[in-house]
Amino acid sequence: MSENILEIKDLVVHFETDDGCVKAINGLTLSVGKEKTLGLVGETGAGKTTTALSILNLVPSPPGVIKGGSIELDGKDVLQMSDKELEHMRGNDVAMIFQDPMTALNPVLTVGEQIAESIMLHEHIPMKDAFERAKEMLKMVGIAEGRAYDYPHQFSGGMRQRVVIAIALACQPNFLIADEPTTALDVTIQAQVLDLMKDLINKNHMSMLLITHDLGVVAEVCNDVAVMYAGRIVEIGTTDEVFNSTRHPYTEGLFDSLPNLKEQGEELVPIKGMMPDPMRLPEGCTFAPRCPYATEACTQTVPELRQVGGTHYVACHAYDDPSFRLRRNANG
Amino acid sequence: MIRYVLKRLLFMIPTILLTSLIIYWAMDLAGGDVVGNMLPENATQEQRDALTEELGLNDPFVVRYARYMAGLVTGDMGVSYKTGKDVFKTFMERLPMTLALGGTALIVACIISIPLGIYTALNQNTWKDTTGMVFALFGVSMPNFWLGLMLMLIFAVKLNWLPSQGADGPKYLVLPALTVGLGLAALITRTTRSAMLDVIRQDYMTTAKAKGASHRRVIYYHGLKNAMIPIVTAIGMQFSLVMTGSALAEVVFSWPGIGRLVFESIDSRDIPMVTGSIILCCVLMSIINLIVDLIYAFLDPRIKAQYSNKG
Repeated sequence: MSENILEIKDLVVHFETDDGCVKAINGLTLSVGKEKTLGLVGETGAGKTTTALSILNLVPSPPGVIKGGSIELDGKDVLQMSDKELEHMRGNDVAMIFQDPMTALNPVLTVGEQIAESIMLHEHIPMKDAFERAKEMLKMVGIAEGRAYDYPHQFSGGMRQRVVIAIALACQPNFLIADEPTTALDVTIQAQVLDLMKDLINKNHMSMLLITHDLGVVAEVCNDVAVMYAGRIVEIGTTDEVFNSTRHPYTEGLFDSLPNLKEQGEELVPIKGMMPDPMRLPEGCTFAPRCPYATEACTQTVPELRQVGGTHYVACHAYDDPSFRLRRNANG
Repeated sequence: MIRYVLKRLLFMIPTILLTSLIIYWAMDLAGGDVVGNMLPENATQEQRDALTEELGLNDPFVVRYARYMAGLVTGDMGVSYKTGKDVFKTFMERLPMTLALGGTALIVACIISIPLGIYTALNQNTWKDTTGMVFALFGVSMPNFWLGLMLMLIFAVKLNWLPSQGADGPKYLVLPALTVGLGLAALITRTTRSAMLDVIRQDYMTTAKAKGASHRRVIYYHGLKNAMIPIVTAIGMQFSLVMTGSALAEVVFSWPGIGRLVFESIDSRDIPMVTGSIILCCVLMSIINLIVDLIYAFLDPRIKAQYSNKG
């Protein structure tokens, strides 16, 4: 038995539209350890949400097509599961917290009904009993039990995200996917929701894949980090490794574009250019057109992930030269 | 909620006033030989003059209208010129027939269109979708009376399966109800399809799937309840179509409902009967619209909250 709860290998997901083929995920490999939290970081459009939906085999089809690879959850390949097995797995073994709590809840059902639904479906108990359990779940996420009879429009954004969390945790899954759970919330509420999630995950011994573009959130919550660019992992390692000995030029770019409170007034350094159009990905390394270190070799072949430390991997041709250092690390 | 209903009922008063004026005026403009229709062919000029005077037809329009409205306020809708029977009573005698026809037509329409709309939406851009939509387009473009005549020709005349005229039991209802229902089904199919297409892309549908709900449950429990709001709107708006459609079908199939009553009354210039019937239809439509609005509140808690706030 492996140490990992989730292992994705060489996943390829394309969206075949009338205008062309959108290459959302192009050979993604990552794993999440038991009772560990992996942060999946990247810009909008890097394929983070598609990765999350693939794990539940919920990529909207058509137009989405999973072209290849495998996604093993506790040793079982999600992509080979029957509809029945998928229904059993979703919500029960793996649950998902969605990005926008404003649209993730069904407007015509009470929040109690929505939480109770997964309990009813997976534990095969009557709706009435499930509803009582739903009330307990609400209490657990800090909402008064009596509000189970209210509808989503009667809640604020932060409260709704708590409801979404309650739905996800209702059946005590052992793996949680959180797709930018705090992006749509106010900063003050973000911290509350993150604390709540951290707390519940520790208490229930869960593993989590946390999707975010916020490196601050990663530093606070995650054991490991994977940096994603144009449908591939470019750097993966423990939070300490990735933050303190950054290896990939793209990760360096992400850090440089963060404001630094200690050195106020210093100009932010954005990453030049834009993410490539996923319909027309460049040859070779997809980051090469924006990369300050790019050489001729980068436009030829796609770099493979290589080990650069204990659990630290990076996909970059620059390390063909053993003396290569990022500017960020050169001074330090 | 109750205040909302009362307010809506009050709004019916100006509607009724305006309708009555327009109808009364239109009947006046239409002219025609009112007295001639009531008297035997060989009536003398004296008899004609006497009847004209008796009915008050010599008075100016404003006086006649005022007299009619004075009666209406006290609940007296007058008597039919033709039969001498009370207008309100005659209308109420005929109403169940029209409601039976309209109701059956609506049920037929819903049974066909809602499943078809969902089916085409789930198979968007495939041949199944196209076939369904061609049917719907056909249904929308086909004139009601023509469809009625075709159905009559096939099922009553050629195959002799069903009666074509009258109202003497449930099987007499089949052809007129199909005539009205098929046209309606086409419209509701299109609405259901677009409502469903909109709903299946919503995030909460993914949430439901991620909970482990089956495909069926996601579509019918989570999807349909949301899609019902535009569908009910469409049905509510098409209710006037049920009424006019029924009127045509009633004439074609000799169905003794309100449609035929109004049609025949217009023909014989039975002014009190026409005016009274149309005012009552107007009230009926207002009540139906109100019921549709109340169904929204039942379907969508957000609308219910709005009604309660505005009172």
